Amino acid sequence: MGTPLDGGSRVPIGCPAKLRRVTRKKVAPDLEGWLSLAKARYAMGAKSVGPLQYASHMEPQVCLHASEAQEGLQKFKVVRAGVHAPEEVGTREAGLRRRKGPTKTPEPESSEAPQDPLNWFGILVPHSLRQAQASFRDGLQLAADIASLQNRIDWGRSQLRGLQEKLKQLEPGAA
Amino acid sequence: MAGRGKLIAVIGDEDTVTGFLLGGIGELNKNRHPNFLVVEKDTTINEIEDTFRSLGSLPGSVVEANPNQCDPPLWDEIDSRQFLNRDDIGIILINQYIAEMVRHALDAHQQSIPAVLEIPSKEHPYDAAKDSILRRARGMFTAEDLR
Repeated sequence: MGTPLDGGSRVPIGCPAKLRRVTRKKVAPDLEGWLSLAKARYAMGAKSVGPLQYASHMEPQVCLHASEAQEGLQKFKVVRAGVHAPEEVGTREAGLRRRKGPTKTPEPESSEAPQDPLNWFGILVPHSLRQAQASFRDGLQLAADIASLQNRIDWGRSQLRGLQEKLKQLEPGAA
Repeated sequence: MAGRGKLIAVIGDEDTVTGFLLGGIGELNKNRHPNFLVVEKDTTINEIEDTFRSLGSLPGSVVEANPNQCDPPLWDEIDSRQFLNRDDIGIILINQYIAEMVRHALDAHQQSIPAVLEIPSKEHPYDAAKDSILRRARGMFTAEDLR
């Protein structure tokens, strides 16, 4: 879908509508997340879920990978830190598990996975706090999708401007 | 950092920031510069702007934008707090009602990275008409194109 310009170059015109749809979709998970946070605060105490509980040292559990799909067009993807492949799970003693063959030597202990932020709020946290965490994690992937769409819109804008400039130059009265 | 990927920063009210930190985006690095800002009743607009904007990209009015008036170590510290100036941040999430306070800073930001996303808050629903990105996109097309 697109508007043909200058000999068939197409610029996608569906992006704003797509962005609005994804944005509306984005609202729902966040509402659930806030509701769950409110429930957790009700269960644990008004001041028990907030900045006072933030850790003094934080390592991100999720990060963003940006890839360039086309020239100048960035696409984002959320990845979780410390996610191991199935083969790496389990004991590391050579000979007990042979998922990768008999000659596999035990690998040195990898760096520790970042601490789960749920631990900031105590050892036993209410289920609503876990639900809040799940909701906001879903929101993060959605945020990455929306950021990719926004980049696509900006990229489309710059492409459109370039083509419009070319079109002006090709018009008979332009010179 | 190249192997780890980029961070997601958040500027929002207490619930928004707490929620996304629960989601695992928080970083408090060795220089004690966080990738989040909790905006409270007594948070000033200058503080929000200072955290968000990139140095020298805005005309005029903010006093602390002049490097000649700051000691180099202090200048480096201000530099590191500003999300737009950090090359390890890929997305900045900001509640829309806070974005309205620093709208001129958002409108001045034209780069693709970091991407700036305006998100709703618990008490302020999202209004697409105010979104800087959507406003720019609407300006590309006529009403006929959008039908």
